Amino acid sequence: MSSVGRAPVRAVRPRVLRLRANWRRHRRLALKLVLSLVMLALAAGAALPFYYIVVNTFKTPEQSAISPLALPSPFTLQNYKNVVNSVPLLQSFGNSAYVTVLGVLTTVLFGSMAAYAINMRRTRANRVLRLVLITALAIPFQVTVVPLYEMMVKSGLVNSLSGLVVVYMAGAVFCFFIIDGYMSTIPKELVEAAKIDGAGVVQIYARIMMPLSMPVLATVAIFQTIGIWNDFLVANTFLSSSSKYTIVLQVYSSVGEFTTNWPSFMTLTTISLVPMVVFFLIIQRKIIGGLAAGAVKG
Amino acid sequence: MLARSTATKRSEVANERRPDLRPARLARWREALAVQAFFLPTVLSFVLLVAVPSVLTIALSFTNFDGYSFKFHFVGLSNYSALFSDPQITASLYFTILYAVATTVIVTVIAIPLAVIVNINFAGHKLVRAVFFFTSVPSLLVLALVWTYILSPLGSGVINYLLYGLFGAGPVQWLSDNHLAQLSVIMVGVWAQAGWHSVLYLGYLQSVPGDYYDAAVVDGASVMRRFFGITLPLLAPAMTVSVVLLMISGLRVYELPLALTQGGPVYSTYTVTQNILLYGVSNGKFGEGSALSAVFLALVIAVLFGILGALRHRESRLFR
Repeated sequence: MSSVGRAPVRAVRPRVLRLRANWRRHRRLALKLVLSLVMLALAAGAALPFYYIVVNTFKTPEQSAISPLALPSPFTLQNYKNVVNSVPLLQSFGNSAYVTVLGVLTTVLFGSMAAYAINMRRTRANRVLRLVLITALAIPFQVTVVPLYEMMVKSGLVNSLSGLVVVYMAGAVFCFFIIDGYMSTIPKELVEAAKIDGAGVVQIYARIMMPLSMPVLATVAIFQTIGIWNDFLVANTFLSSSSKYTIVLQVYSSVGEFTTNWPSFMTLTTISLVPMVVFFLIIQRKIIGGLAAGAVKG
Repeated sequence: MLARSTATKRSEVANERRPDLRPARLARWREALAVQAFFLPTVLSFVLLVAVPSVLTIALSFTNFDGYSFKFHFVGLSNYSALFSDPQITASLYFTILYAVATTVIVTVIAIPLAVIVNINFAGHKLVRAVFFFTSVPSLLVLALVWTYILSPLGSGVINYLLYGLFGAGPVQWLSDNHLAQLSVIMVGVWAQAGWHSVLYLGYLQSVPGDYYDAAVVDGASVMRRFFGITLPLLAPAMTVSVVLLMISGLRVYELPLALTQGGPVYSTYTVTQNILLYGVSNGKFGEGSALSAVFLALVIAVLFGILGALRHRESRLFR
């Protein structure tokens, strides 16, 4: 400041820097705007099938044939009436809910119990047992299906919803594997403290390990819910009478019925997707965090 | 009797020295037993639903068991040789492997950049993330059924409708030409899985410390350099998980081609799993069905160990 000769230099350089910074900020904002537009367009493309499904449920068959992507111009609810009258929706949803609730509860319970056991006693024998159990993750259902089907016929568990739940219990190993990864990070001191206070094996499980494992239990329960609710392969193999159909089987078996009237088929699809959409909206934030937590640990 | 009495004597001697040892050891044993009991449900379901049927599958594959009469005998490898001369089965092996490899490669190539992009804080990034993820939430079977309408050459076929409207191109037979049908099944598989896998990568990305990027920016590394020099190597563990999951679910593919093409045209989109169920459950050809299951198991295990080995090797090279 004291020297006259240096003043202009000082005044100019920050100006240039400020301009450059401004230009950078503007460029970054512009890039983000372009990115945002491009990505939203791509997402819209990916979501197009869902738009297509829903928009056609409000059209007559003639109208959807002429303009499948247009908005419904005479808005009609006839398709919903058709579907509600011809498909036993409540029954199928009830069957799906029954197998999903029981399947998720049993597999998560079994898996958490085994995870607890190995975290209490990580002996050599138990580590070998863990390795043996993990091979189940590599064995696809299709490898076991032929003898399994025979075994289920012999035990009278074919074409029964409870029998289906029994088959889903094979998922306990998957739950065990994920829950074990999380439980092993719980400090052992907590268990020791509880032992000193006189807590038994069951109490430590129920009062300490389970509450502390809630985040991973939620993640596993979400995976199992999506998996069992959407299952087609196992349900289609083991269920034969239509009164036992889950909603996914119901949609599959109704394709023939609605080949010519596809807006009605889209309506059935839309109705069948409602529970999963609601479920998705509830768990959405949790799953994105949970997937990361489960994956990073596993 | 003798052994037992000496054992009691010995423990009595021990008790004289340390009187509280026996009850303590007993309590420890009881506790250990109680803990081991917690394994029971999982072990039982594993033995009855996975281990026993798998062993039976392998055993049955060497017999001519037909599911009804118990007068079956050992037939050696004849079920296996029958498999490889059956065009429906060789076609299914080819398409299953093609599908698994193609979806794994394409999903990985899409999911990693997608994860990097939705990790940037642009307007609507959460919406974009949710939309891409949502495609993996509904049942794949139901979505595949919807795609049959979308790809149809008839009135419902939006793809052909758009092709005609935009380019005046005639209806493309997406599902009735062999190669196009295979392509369609693969593309729907990619559409359904890319979002889920990008969320998996996103989880790992969010645990990458920002300092790495700050340092790279100071050093003047370009966006591309930062992607290939930092992001991609740090995603190696995520890639191991994602690629294994993709390959396994790709080899197990069942409902997608079943709903989209029913395995046709001819045998072009038949899958191994579809044939196992067809032979082993519906047609009562237990021997051949079991043999195919055994081949399938060998394939899955080989792929699993092959990929795990290769990717772990890559991981260790990257982080050495």
